[in-house]
Amino acid sequence: MLELKNLYFTIADHEKSGGIRNIIDGINYAFDDGKFYAITGPNGSGKTSLAKLIMGINPVTKGSIVYDGTEISALTITERARAGIAYSFQQPARFKGITFRDLLTIATGIEDEKKLLAILRRVGICPLSFMDKEVDAKLSGGEIKKIELATTIAANPKLAIYDEPDTGIDLWTIGPMVNLLKKELAENKTTTIVVSHNRSFLEAADVVMIINSGRIVYDGNLEGAMPLLEDLSVCTYRNTCEGEQDAGCYR
Amino acid sequence: MLDAIDKTLLKTVADLESLPKGAYNIRKNGKLLSRHVSANINIETNADETGIIVKIKPGTKNESVHIPVILSQAGLYDVVYNTFIIGDDAEVTIVAGCGIYCGTSDPEGHAGIHEFKVGKNARVTYVEKHYASGEGKGRRTLNPTTKVFLAEGAHAEMELTQIAGVDEANRVNEALLGPDSLLLITERVLTDGDQTAVSTNNIVLNGAGSRANMISRSVMKGNSRQTFYATMDARNKCYGHIECDAIIMDNGTNETMPSLKAEHPDAELTHEASIGKIASDQLTKLMSLGLTYDQAVNRIIQGFLK
Repeated sequence: MLELKNLYFTIADHEKSGGIRNIIDGINYAFDDGKFYAITGPNGSGKTSLAKLIMGINPVTKGSIVYDGTEISALTITERARAGIAYSFQQPARFKGITFRDLLTIATGIEDEKKLLAILRRVGICPLSFMDKEVDAKLSGGEIKKIELATTIAANPKLAIYDEPDTGIDLWTIGPMVNLLKKELAENKTTTIVVSHNRSFLEAADVVMIINSGRIVYDGNLEGAMPLLEDLSVCTYRNTCEGEQDAGCYR
Repeated sequence: MLDAIDKTLLKTVADLESLPKGAYNIRKNGKLLSRHVSANINIETNADETGIIVKIKPGTKNESVHIPVILSQAGLYDVVYNTFIIGDDAEVTIVAGCGIYCGTSDPEGHAGIHEFKVGKNARVTYVEKHYASGEGKGRRTLNPTTKVFLAEGAHAEMELTQIAGVDEANRVNEALLGPDSLLLITERVLTDGDQTAVSTNNIVLNGAGSRANMISRSVMKGNSRQTFYATMDARNKCYGHIECDAIIMDNGTNETMPSLKAEHPDAELTHEASIGKIASDQLTKLMSLGLTYDQAVNRIIQGFLK
């Protein structure tokens, strides 16, 4: 189980009174093992910041993160990875001279060709020649996201965090991607947290969480979330731009 | 004939565990140690006895030549002039390399001037590694020069690597490309401590339809310093690209100067250059797969110089 207790992530902001801003503003939440969570909310609401706090990419300003009964908020990214947490980046890193095969081997410790091919089958990546492609700037946005997803799953995490896994993925692949995450959850009891705006993930989730201004404003089923999601889709800049007048923007 | 130090040097610079199959010429401390020729590949000492001439018969397929140089004699500065004449339509791999073992405080060095005359439609792969080791404090210098002349339709792929331990290097690569020829150069240089390396590259795209791609990967550790010059001079309808990336670790410094000259309206020349530390998103990604910070740094550098 993953438990967030009175969690804060604060950055310097000279425009704010006091000179600081709480990106994550005191979150308390307990994630159950083996469930599918979809985190959604407006741009800039703190979804990615929260995901990065759990992985240790962002430092915890205040509060605690308890994972499997252990306080992990002071652990490094490496230690959290070795404890069974995996993270799929929204904008994956691109390397020079490192192939998809290298990343799979780093993630799993497996070098055996047959076992690596079995992983590719499991994550539904073809053609197999893909394995020796360099994970560099030449890959398309969709290709690198598939690689990112595959390295995350291949690590056999107990807790997998996916930050907008559908960015750059074609419409026809999103359905199979959702099914893959559900299958991993069913077979391996992987606790799955997906940050997404995509309805396919929200529909697949056991729990939909809405974050706004660094706080959880809703958690429950999708049906219950809909009124709030529609409300949040209303422009939040109205007070700072043209007020009630038509500013001619499509935000 | 080969002692333990020789064997280590040979293994490092030429991947040789023992004497190679096929043609080879091993030079130790400025003298010929061992030579073997094959039916299609002849090796002979040049007229003024300053190096060798390697002749590959036209049409030779899938053969290789090893020409490593090893130095373990204090105070020696060995200079060789080697010429490679690759016949039309031949396909050959040439493995060169210089290993220095320095056991004293006297300097040791090697300058290899390698000239390649690649015949029509011939394909040559040239692999050169430079490495120095030893507990001695003597300054180790390696100054390799390659000059490549490509005839019509010839292909040359050159992998030039300076692995470790070289205090001072002055590297020069020159090439003149004929019609429809192709040149691929990949140069990898790792420096550490107070080492310096300068690489100067002049590539002339002379023939119509010629293509050249120069990739440079530099890593500066410690207080080391590297300078990279590359000029592509297009004198015909042709295509050329320079890609130079440098990673700074510790307090290393780097200067990179790619330069493009088009003397023909149909020339297409491009370059990209970058200098910086290891990107933090790369480190974060590898740590999220379970590597420690140091392991992630090593893995990224290993890939970069692969």
